[in-house]
Amino acid sequence: MSLNNEIPKMKKKPVWVAPWGYTEGWLICAGLLITGLALQLTAGGLDSKALSWPANIITGGMFTGLIAGGWLLFRGNPLVNWLARVPAAVTSIALITFLVLIMGFTLQENEGNPLWVQQLGLSNMTGSWPFLFGMMFFLSSLGMATMKRITPMKGRNIGFFLNHAGLYIAILGGLLGAADLKRVTMDLYEGEVVWGATDRQGHYMDMPFAVELERFNMEEYNPKIALIVTETGRIVPEAISEMFEIDTGHRGNMIGWDVEVLKFYAMSGRIDGRFEPVVDYGAPPSALVRVTDTSGQSIEGWITSGSFMYPHQLLNIDHEHSVAMTIPRASHYSSDVVIYTPSGDLIETNIEVNHPVSVNGWKLYQYSYDDRFGKWSSTSVIEAIRDPWLPVVYTGIFMLIAGSIYLMTLGKAPEKDSENRPERDEEEMSSPENKKYEGITAENRMSEESMPGRVTKPEPETELAGV
Amino acid sequence: MMPIDPTLFTIAAIVLWALGMLLFAFAGEKKVLKWAAHGSFLAGVGVLVVFTWLLWDILGRPPMRTLGETRLWYAMFLPVIGYATYIRWDYKWILHYSGAMAILFLAINLIYPDNYDRDLMPALQSIWFVPHVIVYIFAYALLAGATIVAVKGLFIKYTGRNRTWSMQPADNLVYLGLGFLTLGLLFGALWGKEAWGHYWMWDPKETWAFLTWIGYLAYIHYRYHKPKRITAAMWMLAGAFIILLIAWFGVNYLPSAANSVHTYSQ
Ligand code: HEM
Repeated sequence: MSLNNEIPKMKKKPVWVAPWGYTEGWLICAGLLITGLALQLTAGGLDSKALSWPANIITGGMFTGLIAGGWLLFRGNPLVNWLARVPAAVTSIALITFLVLIMGFTLQENEGNPLWVQQLGLSNMTGSWPFLFGMMFFLSSLGMATMKRITPMKGRNIGFFLNHAGLYIAILGGLLGAADLKRVTMDLYEGEVVWGATDRQGHYMDMPFAVELERFNMEEYNPKIALIVTETGRIVPEAISEMFEIDTGHRGNMIGWDVEVLKFYAMSGRIDGRFEPVVDYGAPPSALVRVTDTSGQSIEGWITSGSFMYPHQLLNIDHEHSVAMTIPRASHYSSDVVIYTPSGDLIETNIEVNHPVSVNGWKLYQYSYDDRFGKWSSTSVIEAIRDPWLPVVYTGIFMLIAGSIYLMTLGKAPEKDSENRPERDEEEMSSPENKKYEGITAENRMSEESMPGRVTKPEPETELAGV
Repeated sequence: MMPIDPTLFTIAAIVLWALGMLLFAFAGEKKVLKWAAHGSFLAGVGVLVVFTWLLWDILGRPPMRTLGETRLWYAMFLPVIGYATYIRWDYKWILHYSGAMAILFLAINLIYPDNYDRDLMPALQSIWFVPHVIVYIFAYALLAGATIVAVKGLFIKYTGRNRTWSMQPADNLVYLGLGFLTLGLLFGALWGKEAWGHYWMWDPKETWAFLTWIGYLAYIHYRYHKPKRITAAMWMLAGAFIILLIAWFGVNYLPSAANSVHTYSQ
């Protein structure tokens, strides 16, 4: 980098001459993409379990060591130096963006994708060579930028450090930890002690604890009134926004029909054509409704959503339409369980959605139930997850949370001298904030000490080959 | 079945904003009209705040479940941000644009009225729900402000009017917006761990949230490095906002989202 402010704007810098800029960055992106795709086509995708313990910690250590050592020993090297600067950051970010954009448009599953998409690894992006290379480039740039700013460590770089090191730790931890992540499900039946679990591929494994389901609980929201086309059973689209919750006394207008709920029972049984409240296995909700049309004619009748034991019942209001009761939706569901550990502990607890329970390094989640039976389900599926790298990722995440607060304080005060804006320059409209730099010599522009930490500090414009 | 009429509140807010903007445009030096302009514009926000608060109370859950409900919050935040930007930088036009966008979003809610119901699926019943959504929508509104600055700059550039254009308000809004966006993303990750067992699964909604985030990340780094190249920067902001809109509304329509766990937003 030149310290001479007087250098006239240079002609395009030849490629691969230090300092590298954006052109080199784009070429590197292209090279990584081509190599990655070639490997993908010849060697196939990556094995997601290849980097399990301890290979992952070794790889992560070596990668980080290489970046730290590279900066400490070879910062004069064009590649090392370049990786620590913005052109590498922006081009690597662009490469990741490109790959993730493809992922954003492609169903990430083999089924439903043409063969060439599968072969190029686009339908399994995170397990593909181009993605691996992109991430390595991205992390090298991120790591090198971090090294550049923390050698020597200065107090006012703390915000920069939190963001960049935090992101590095979170992403590297997440990538390397993926192979050690275990997700299995345990199918529980009321009153049965279960020691085993199966993973997504259906492999069985023994768990270091056992779980017994005492009771599956579910609470439901009240069902809704819907207007349907009798023949198809489909909800009339125009009436969707007019559906309303059923409860005694509720009343609403559905595209002209006035619907009034006269009675509602959350659990009921059918007796002589009408419904009465009962507490019984499989008893469905029911309601007595009165429907009045625009001419003032009304009919009354019972409707029910039915259950696995009883059929549903509609109220026909003309030869085309009926009033129906929707199937109630779950508001809460959870499992009362007893967990037995090998050390003889016995834990009585409740596992609910959003409230997992920790046992011996595993977290247990309420996963599903037998939806044919709904609230009468006597089975419950618990997902057990072990993620030993979680503390690493969380360290990164909490650093990033702190760093984002720093980011919010970066704004600058409004400009005072809006009258003295510089003229439009040759190719760009001037942005007034650049004014600040015009009186500053290149020398102190380079020196970190003379700049307040928060002011935008551009590198000298040596990369004219840039975008 | 709503004890209050959402349409009434929506129309009231729209009328108050429109009136405020008109007054701002024609007040000139007249003190009274200026005060009326501020009053009307802020009253529009006030109406929406009251409505949202009532809605929350009536539904017994945070009104943040459906796309229409998120638009409500957006329409509440955006004029506030436009107003604050106006007060701070004296850019009256940003107030107008943010007001117009807020009106547009409320108008969408008028055309597609929401079916407000109390149901909240168990996965959404979490202490993370409210901070996650609020922080996200606030970020979206800030970034919309930045986009307005950029698009107006592009307009000035390509219509050949020889004027200078400052990206400083855009930069400041992006710093703030990206800060909030990062928080939203991370709150989502922490919540995902509690609700679905993992903090990041490259679900389509997450994929597009990541794209939005990294787009603005590219912007701030590029700005930091090449502060003079503002045309490229303005295009980046415009592009990033398109990605943001896809992440917010578009994902549901993409084939890649066939198996999304985030289908509750419909
Ligand atoms: C959480 C994400 C990130 C945030 C919030 C962030 C924020 C920033 C900010 C605000 C600056 C301006 C300088 C300063 O604050 O002192 C900066 C500089 C920089 N960032 Fe980032 N950044 C992030 C991620 C990245 C990534 C992913 C890379 C690389 C791939 C990167 C590479 C750089 C580089 C090279 C600089 C210039 C450093 C220098 O010249 O001293 N950053 N970043």
